[in-house]
Amino acid sequence: MKLNIEGLLVYFPYDYIYPEQYSYMLELKRTLDAKGHGVLEMPSGTGKTISLLSLIVAYQRAFPLEVTKLIYCSRTVPEIEKVVEELRKLMEFYTKETGESNNFLALALSSRKNLCIHPEVSSLRFGKEVDGKCHSLTASYVRAQHHSNPNLPVCRFYEEFDSVGRQVPLPAGIYNLDDLKAFGRRKGWCPYYLARYSILHANIVVYSYHYLLDPKIADLVSKELAKKSVVVFDEAHNIDNVCIDSMSVNITRRTLDRCQTNVDTLQNTIHKIKETDAAKLREEYRRLVEGLKEANVARETDIYLANPVLPDEILQEAVPGSIRTAEHFVGFMRRFLEYLKSRLRVQHVVQESAPQFLKDIFEKVCIDRKPLRFCAERLQSLLRTLEIADIADFSAVTLISNFATLVSTYSQGFTIIIEPFEDRTPTIANPVLHFSCMDPSIAIKPVFQRFQSVVITSGTLSPLDIYPRILDFRPVTMASFTMTLARTCLCPLIVGRGNDQVALSSKFETREDFAVIRNYGNLLLEMSAIVPDGIVAFFTSYVYMENIVASWYEQGILENIQRNKLIFIETQDAAETSMALEKYQEACENGRGAILLSVARGKVSEGIDFVHHYGRAVIMFGVPYVYTQSRILKARLEYLRDQFQIRENDFLTFDAMRHAAQCVGRAIRGKTDYGLMIFADKRYARADKRGKLPRWIQEHINDGSLNLTVDEAVQLSKHFLRQMAQPFRQEDQLGLSLLTLEQLESEDMLQKITQIAHQT
Amino acid sequence: MDEQGCPRCKTTKYRNPSLKLMVNVCGHTLCENCVEMLFVRGSSNCVQCDTPLRKSNFRVQLFEDPTVDKEVEIRKKVLKIYNKRDFDFPSLREYNDYLEQVEDIVYNLTNNVDVENTKLRMEQYQRENRDVIQRNKAKLTREQEELEELLLQEQQSNEQRRLEVLQEEQRQLQAKRKNKQALLDELVRCTRCMAVCMCNDKSSDAISELHYDRCSMSDRQTVSLQPVTKIEDVLYHYRPLQVETYGPPVPELEQLGRLGYLNHVRAAVTQDTAGGYTSGLACYRAIQDAFSGLFPLRG
Repeated sequence: MKLNIEGLLVYFPYDYIYPEQYSYMLELKRTLDAKGHGVLEMPSGTGKTISLLSLIVAYQRAFPLEVTKLIYCSRTVPEIEKVVEELRKLMEFYTKETGESNNFLALALSSRKNLCIHPEVSSLRFGKEVDGKCHSLTASYVRAQHHSNPNLPVCRFYEEFDSVGRQVPLPAGIYNLDDLKAFGRRKGWCPYYLARYSILHANIVVYSYHYLLDPKIADLVSKELAKKSVVVFDEAHNIDNVCIDSMSVNITRRTLDRCQTNVDTLQNTIHKIKETDAAKLREEYRRLVEGLKEANVARETDIYLANPVLPDEILQEAVPGSIRTAEHFVGFMRRFLEYLKSRLRVQHVVQESAPQFLKDIFEKVCIDRKPLRFCAERLQSLLRTLEIADIADFSAVTLISNFATLVSTYSQGFTIIIEPFEDRTPTIANPVLHFSCMDPSIAIKPVFQRFQSVVITSGTLSPLDIYPRILDFRPVTMASFTMTLARTCLCPLIVGRGNDQVALSSKFETREDFAVIRNYGNLLLEMSAIVPDGIVAFFTSYVYMENIVASWYEQGILENIQRNKLIFIETQDAAETSMALEKYQEACENGRGAILLSVARGKVSEGIDFVHHYGRAVIMFGVPYVYTQSRILKARLEYLRDQFQIRENDFLTFDAMRHAAQCVGRAIRGKTDYGLMIFADKRYARADKRGKLPRWIQEHINDGSLNLTVDEAVQLSKHFLRQMAQPFRQEDQLGLSLLTLEQLESEDMLQKITQIAHQT
Repeated sequence: MDEQGCPRCKTTKYRNPSLKLMVNVCGHTLCENCVEMLFVRGSSNCVQCDTPLRKSNFRVQLFEDPTVDKEVEIRKKVLKIYNKRDFDFPSLREYNDYLEQVEDIVYNLTNNVDVENTKLRMEQYQRENRDVIQRNKAKLTREQEELEELLLQEQQSNEQRRLEVLQEEQRQLQAKRKNKQALLDELVRCTRCMAVCMCNDKSSDAISELHYDRCSMSDRQTVSLQPVTKIEDVLYHYRPLQVETYGPPVPELEQLGRLGYLNHVRAAVTQDTAGGYTSGLACYRAIQDAFSGLFPLRG
């Protein structure tokens, strides 16, 4: 259908539209008009993706000079593929309606592992290996050597792309990863480099967060993207953690040992090269005297693992004299390494700031701040000069040099924590140096500064105001949308007591309490008897789950549950988990269904959808707080309090509730779906916890379902399930939660729609 | 670390965890015991390279690689002489060249390359630049100044934060005390309004303390001093309960016998009827149960 969104003609590829989609598009249009950033929350399964795409594409067509590009960031490869498919549908609709083929170029970009078509390289299993191998075939010096010695292997796809691929732009169309590969095969071009090259002039780019947020990758891939782009972060409820992870470095004893071998190799190679080809080192030396800028403009294949963000003025300055020659630099690295080793030899936990660290390092091994700052860049230059083909081997020394650069560049927002052992095993020495970023805004700041509009959206972003605060930006629109429903297909219940009136809670004091564990078991048992098909149960941690399941086994609860349903368990092993998941789904297809026991923050809670009969009930045992004793977390909380005035408890609760909402949201993936959401902890009933749930869940929690016993919950669930099992047709939804164009344009509906968005 | 050991007596860290390794200017390791033994007279030659050494120059080895210890030692010495700062040079380029020169000297001394010449060079430099060296001795480099400043800032902010937290705590404490006092005053003024106060501020500790005091005073007798509170509200109207059973209508209790339902249940014995039980009651419930939920949901 064709919509009129405040004067903008939007093609929407479906015959019906949800009212909240219309409202979402309104908000989005206002964000784009204001050229600002936005935070939008809309429940999963209400067609966020298509609303986003159709509005932004329409905007791009209407104002081609205002918005030139859409950068859509998603989390996983399957999600990226889904987005591209939606886009394809939209484009087909456009051609059908307008009758002309539009010259839109949209493509997905992923790592070499997913895009390589070289027969040998693509057969490797790990992403790192693929990257390393690819680099050894495509680096510029390898190719230069190939000219003189044709026996040396190079990648023929890259050669082909390099000679002809750059002149001819990728023909307009929608390309997912497979399309790119097929196109590459047909032409004999490398799809990865083709995609990387083409994103510069594509209208829509779909790729993973890391290409924009991880400074090491962003520098390579996204550096040249146009300023007038719209950036969308989908499923962005975890964005602060992604930012932090991309800037943090962990160094263990093993890293240092590997680094030691790396440095030894470097030294040997320098020796060798000095005897055979001293001119090369001299050439590098000359270049470094001139300044880094020139080195920085080396060709794209060489800059392989580039440096973390550096202020521009440093890039324009020359490398300090103390690390200019190769030997001196290796000596420098050796000293730095020995210093780190001596620091790791601590007996107790040390926490210090970056300036303290820098002062100490100067006193101990006379290393200044400036050469440290250039460390990453200098190492890259050396690796290039020494023509070391397999850079994957040198990941350890690269990591250390990145650490050196980061620690000397940022004096704020980072902390250094050295722990001699893990908390759980205080007798086994396993020293780790955490260089942890506490400020997610550091990594994301360039994105907000560079791009005209950045939209952060997800199904669970409540409370909305905390994201602008921790990411340090000023949004022009913040809105939360609810699901308009023809029938209440979700039923959140807070079970606070067992049948024996014992309070249910996973808090630390009652964790080991048998009564609580038994009541939790009872709850699952009763639910397994009344819920058809699949049940997913989430625990707060792996350890807690193991304890409880062991205890249930002893008490015979597990046996009773197994009379009703099969039980599957998520483990820390990814292969085992995906196996369990597959079998769980198989069991849901047949017979009486199954129960999946899994962990909040685990793989299942983040990326797996349990549509329809795969998840008829989700039970959340306890409140999924993070492990609060971790020093990294403590440091971060302190930082949040000092810098952003966010109280520790607020942040912890916020974090716990967004994960809880993520978990229970797994079951509802659309308006025809239905599911029970059981929060089994009495703490959920408190206003501060409940208030942090997304609005679309909150508004279905009524006062009657705040502090239920197991029995009462069973009664309510029975009633709910019986109601939901009645046939539900599309006609029931029409006019209420599903609109045709005429219905949408009616006066009172428009009025209703304006109320959907919850402005904050 | 464990495989480190003294090259002379072959003791390793693994076998003797309290082993202390020492290193002298030549960069060769010896354990503390061997040093004590060999250097009884204050000076001797290195076991490995025959350099004449003094006992007083032995230092505890900080790093795993003794050459790094040696290098740091040398570097500190060299930097004392070569202490020019970047503002002593007209351009960055020259400063960098100077830095490289320093690095060269350190490298040569550490790796025993051309030691004599290097030492000569150093001495010459020292003679030529005596006043600059003297002048720069007290000065820090610009970077170090920055660092010091940052550290100072950090300290100050920490201190400030500590004070703020302290103040905040005090303020809370005071507020609490004030509340308590105010409440007690009010109670003294009129005991009658106590119930109201209780309702207003249930969470206050003062009240509960007071309450318990009172309890102990009256020796746990259930004498209530509170006036009976009058509840004023809209009068309650009874509305008959409407139960939606989703099934066919259930016959009335009185009609059960007439319709013959009672023939199918066990008749009540005299003992049962003593408590007011009739077989009709059980039958009525069974029928209600059976009839409910038979129809599909409407609406």
